[in-house]
Amino acid sequence: MTNTNEWGQRVRISHRVRVCTGVRLWMTAVALLVVFTVGCQRKAAEQDSIPVGVVLPITGREAKPGQYQREGIELAIKQINDGGGIFVKDLNKKLPVKEIFYDDSSDQAKSASLAERAMSSDKVVAVLGAYSTALGEAESVMPDRYQTPWITTGAAATTIFSRGFKYTFGTLSPTSLLGSTTAEYLGSLVDSGKLKKGLKIAMALENTDHGVDYGNGIKQWIGAHPGYFDVVFSESFDLGSPDFSGLLQKVKSAKADIFLADAHLQDYVTMHRQYLQSGMKHQMISYGARGPESDARKALGDGVDYIFAGIWWSDKLPYPQVKKFSDDYTAFTGHKPDSWYPATAYDAMRILALAITNAGTLKKDAIRDALAQPELKESILPGQTLKFGANGQVQNPFVIVQNKPGGKVDIVYPKDAATGESIAPIPKH
Amino acid sequence: MTAAPAIPQTQTAGKRWRIAALVVGLAALIILPLVVDSPNFTRILFLTLLWVTASIAWNLLGGFAGQVSFGFAVFYGVGAYTTALAINAKVNPFLAFVMGAVAAAIISVLLGLPTFRLRGPYFAIATIGISEAVRVIMTNVGFTGGASGYRILEAARFRQFEHYFTALGLAVLALAVSSRIANAKFGLGLKAIRQDEDAAADLGVNPYKYKLAIHAVSAALTGAAGGVFARYAAFVHPNGVFGFQTGVHILLMPVIGGIGTVWGPVVGGFVFGIVEEEIVASFPQIHLLLYGLLLIVIILFEPGGILGGVREVIRRFRGLRRQ
Amino acid sequence: MTLIDFASLLVSALLLAGIYSVMSVGMTVIYGVMKIVNLAHAGFMMLGAYFAWELYERFHVDPILAALLAFPVMFVLGGLVHWLLVRRLPHSDEPTLQSLLLMFGLWLLLQNIGYLIWGNTDRSIFTPRTLSVVHLGPIAVSTVRLMVFGVAVACLILLEVVMNYTWFGRSVRALIQNRYAGLIVGVYEDATAGLTFGLGIGFAGLAGGLLASLYSFDPDFGRAFLIRAFVIIVLGGLDSISGVALGALVLALVETFSILFVPAGYQLAISFGLLVVVLIVLPGGIASVLAKVRRVA
Repeated sequence: MTNTNEWGQRVRISHRVRVCTGVRLWMTAVALLVVFTVGCQRKAAEQDSIPVGVVLPITGREAKPGQYQREGIELAIKQINDGGGIFVKDLNKKLPVKEIFYDDSSDQAKSASLAERAMSSDKVVAVLGAYSTALGEAESVMPDRYQTPWITTGAAATTIFSRGFKYTFGTLSPTSLLGSTTAEYLGSLVDSGKLKKGLKIAMALENTDHGVDYGNGIKQWIGAHPGYFDVVFSESFDLGSPDFSGLLQKVKSAKADIFLADAHLQDYVTMHRQYLQSGMKHQMISYGARGPESDARKALGDGVDYIFAGIWWSDKLPYPQVKKFSDDYTAFTGHKPDSWYPATAYDAMRILALAITNAGTLKKDAIRDALAQPELKESILPGQTLKFGANGQVQNPFVIVQNKPGGKVDIVYPKDAATGESIAPIPKH
Repeated sequence: MTAAPAIPQTQTAGKRWRIAALVVGLAALIILPLVVDSPNFTRILFLTLLWVTASIAWNLLGGFAGQVSFGFAVFYGVGAYTTALAINAKVNPFLAFVMGAVAAAIISVLLGLPTFRLRGPYFAIATIGISEAVRVIMTNVGFTGGASGYRILEAARFRQFEHYFTALGLAVLALAVSSRIANAKFGLGLKAIRQDEDAAADLGVNPYKYKLAIHAVSAALTGAAGGVFARYAAFVHPNGVFGFQTGVHILLMPVIGGIGTVWGPVVGGFVFGIVEEEIVASFPQIHLLLYGLLLIVIILFEPGGILGGVREVIRRFRGLRRQ
Repeated sequence: MTLIDFASLLVSALLLAGIYSVMSVGMTVIYGVMKIVNLAHAGFMMLGAYFAWELYERFHVDPILAALLAFPVMFVLGGLVHWLLVRRLPHSDEPTLQSLLLMFGLWLLLQNIGYLIWGNTDRSIFTPRTLSVVHLGPIAVSTVRLMVFGVAVACLILLEVVMNYTWFGRSVRALIQNRYAGLIVGVYEDATAGLTFGLGIGFAGLAGGLLASLYSFDPDFGRAFLIRAFVIIVLGGLDSISGVALGALVLALVETFSILFVPAGYQLAISFGLLVVVLIVLPGGIASVLAKVRRVA
C-alpha cells in the first residue's frame, strides 16, 4: 500500500504504521460490536427452566467464602435437577433450575449492579448471594425495587432486615447474636465453675460491619448480665495490617483475662503468630467466627489449639442430614466443607425450591409470599429447622466450637449439640 | 494538539461532522432507552453517563491543565455521602446533588491549597495518599455508618427514567462546560500550564490560582456524579465510592478516549462503561485478565486514546484517497 | 508499659522496617532509573510468594532459601516483561500516565493469572521455625522476622556496593542523575534499563518470597504493601536507595508507636497523613534533607 506525501510523491506505508492502523481498526470494530451486543440484548422469556440468579464474590477479598457458598448452592441445584427439577403446578410439569452466576469481585457497587441486572434483564425468579454485610446492604436495595425475592446467604447484619422490606430474606442469623452467644457461652463456663466471675475481657475487632456487630453483641450480653465480665479494652483495627505489635502491646497493657478478636483469616494468622511469639497468655481466646478453618491450622500448626469460635454451622453437628450433606459436598467438590460457608447457601436454595413448589407458580410475588411461610424441616443448620422470621431473617442458634490438640475440633455449646467438653481455662504450658 | 495548518474546508467540514454527531448522539440517548424499554439497558447507559461525567471532569484538570490526580475518588465520595445525608434529611434530591457538588468543590480547594505547590510525580503521589487517608477515615467515622456503609431511604417511588435523564443532563452539562473552557482564554491558560508551568507564569498566567479554579470545577462535576450515583444505588460504602479503584477508573477513561481533548473523555467513558459491564458479567473467571490486557494494548498501541486512533485512521484514508 | 515492653516494641518496629525496606527497594530502583511508578510491584511480589510456596510445598526447600531463589527467576521474568512491554513506552524524565496505567494493567493481568493457577484459597508456609523466637536478653523476637531483617540489610548493602563499585552501578547512577548526559558518555540505555527493571522485579520477587514465610496470602496479596511502599519511597526521596532504609524506618516507627495514642483503625490514615505532610514540607523526601546537610558539612 502506498500513500502520497506533501510533495505528491508516492511513499510506501511502513509496516509498523500498517500494523498500528490495523490494530486501531480492530479495536474500534470490537468496541462497536460490544456496544451492539449490549443494545440488542433482550432475553426472551424462557419457560423451559427456572432461572435463579447467584451473585457472589469469587475474586477479591471475600473470594474463598464466596466460592464455598457457590459450591453449596450448586450442590443443591444439582440434587434438585437430578430429581427432574421443581414441580410447578401452574405449568403442570417439572422444570430444572438454571443458575445464572455473576462474580462481584467483593465490590459492593458491582454486587448491587449485578443483582439488578439479574433481576431486570435475566428475569430470574429470585437472587441468592451477597457474601458479607457490605455487599448484602448494597444488594438489598434491589429486591423491593424490582419485586424479586432475594435470599442472602452470607450477610448477617440486622440492619438489612430492619427496614421493613418485603422481598429480603437471609439464612444467616444476625452477627450480633453471634456476639451475644459467645458471651453467653463464656457465661455458661462461669456458671459451671470452669471460669471465675468478674473476669476482664479485651477485644480487638476488625474495622468492618462484622467486627462492629460482633463487638456490640458481646457488649449487649454483658450489659444485660452484670457481674459476669468486664470489658477493659475494645478497639478496631484496619484490615491487612503487616504488624500488630502495637495493638497487642495495648492488649497486654490492659491486663485482661480473656482475649476476643474478630478478624479475617489473613489478619487472624498474622495476629495470632505475633501473639504466640510474644508469649502472651489468656484464659480464653477467640477470633470471632474464625478458628477451626483448615487453612488456619496450616498456617499456625498447634498454635490454634484451644481457640474457640462461634459459627453459623459445623459439619460436626450430630444430625444425620448434616453427615449426608458433608458426604455429598465432598463428593461434589473434592474437598470437605470448610467452616460454615456452604451450609447457609445450600439451605437457602433448598428453601427456595420448597417455596416455588408451594407457590405452584413462577410468579415472583407468589414465591415471595411462599418464602414467608414454610419451614424447611431437616435443615442442616443448627436447630434443624429453617424458617424466616417476620423481618426475613432466620434466628437459628449458633454453635461454639473449640480446637482441641491433635487437630480435633469439638462442638462445645449448646449442650444438646455438643460433641466434647470445653477446655477452660486454657492450659498454660 | 494540531500540527500542520488546517485547510479551511476540512476544518469546517470537521465541525459540521461534529455537530451532526452531537445531535444524533443526543437524540439516540434520549430515544433509545424509551424505545428499547429494558431496565438493564437503561441501567448500563445510566452508569456509563455518570462515568462520562467524571471522565470529562477529570480531563479538565488532568488533560487540559496536565495535573494528574489519582484522588478523584475523594470528590466522588464526598458528593455521594453529602447527597446521601441530605436526602435522608428529606432535602429535595436535586438540591442534594447541588449540595454534593458544592461540598466536593470546597474540599478540592482545601486539598489543593497545600498540594498544588507540588510538581509532577509528587503531586500524583500526594493525591494517592490523600485518597487512601480519606477512605480509611471514612471507615472509622461513626455517624456516616463507618465500615457498615450508609443507606439512603427515599420515600418516593423509584422511577428509573428520572435517574437516567438526570445523569444525561449532568453529562451534557459537563460536556458544555468542558467545551466552553477549551475554547476560552481560561482553557488556553490551562494548556500553557500543562506545557510549561514556569513559562506560563512568565506570561502572566497565575498557575496556582488557575489550578485551584479548575480543580474546583472538576470536583464539583465529579461530586454531582457521585451524588446522582448515590441516589440510584441507595447505599454508599467507603471502600466503594472512596476506593482507590474508583480513582483509577476515573482517570483511565480520558486516557482510553484521548486525553486533553473535549470528546476524548466522552468516548473513553462510553467504552469503559460498556466494556467494563460486559466483561464483568460475561467472563467472571477472567475479567481482570481481559481488562488488564485491554489496558496494556491501548497504552502500547495508541497513547492518544481512541480519538487519536480514529484521527490517524481518517488521516491515512484521506491520504489514500488522494492518489 | 514497662521499659522491657517499650524496648520490645522498638525491636518490633526495627524488624518491620526491615520488611518494609526489602519490599520497597524494588520499586525505588525502577523509579530512579526509568521514572516508572511500578504499580505491578504487588503482582510480582505475589508471584514471588507463590514461587517460594511452591518450592516449599513440592520440593521441601527451606522457605528462606526459596525466597532467595525467587530473585534470579524473577529477575529473568522482569527482563522479559521489559523486553516485551516496558521498552515500548515513550521515554520521559517524569513519570508518565502511560507508564502508570501500563503497570496497572499488568497488575490486573498478574492477579488473574494468580487466580487461574492457584485459585483463591489462602496459602501460608508453616515450619517449626514459624512460631519460634530468639531471645535477645529479656525480649522475645520472632526468628523469621529476624532472618528477613538480615536478608534486607544484606540486600541494601549489596545494592549500595553494586551502585558504587560496578560499571553497571555507575551507569545506573548516571542515568538517574541526567539521562542525556549518560547517553553522551556512552551508557547503553536500553540494556541498562532492562537490567534495572529486572533487578527491581527480582527484588519484588525476593520480598514476596520472604513475606510468604510471615503472612498468609492469596492472589490479591501485596495491595497493603504496595501502598506502604509508596509512602516509603516518597519519605526516602524517590531515587535514593539509602533513603529507602530511612523511609522504611520512619514509617515503621510511626505505625508501631502511633497506635499507642490513637485507635488502631486510624493507623493507615496516619501513615498517609505522614506522607502528605512530608511531601508538602519536604518535597524531596527526608533524603533531600540529609543531602543538604551533607553538602553543608
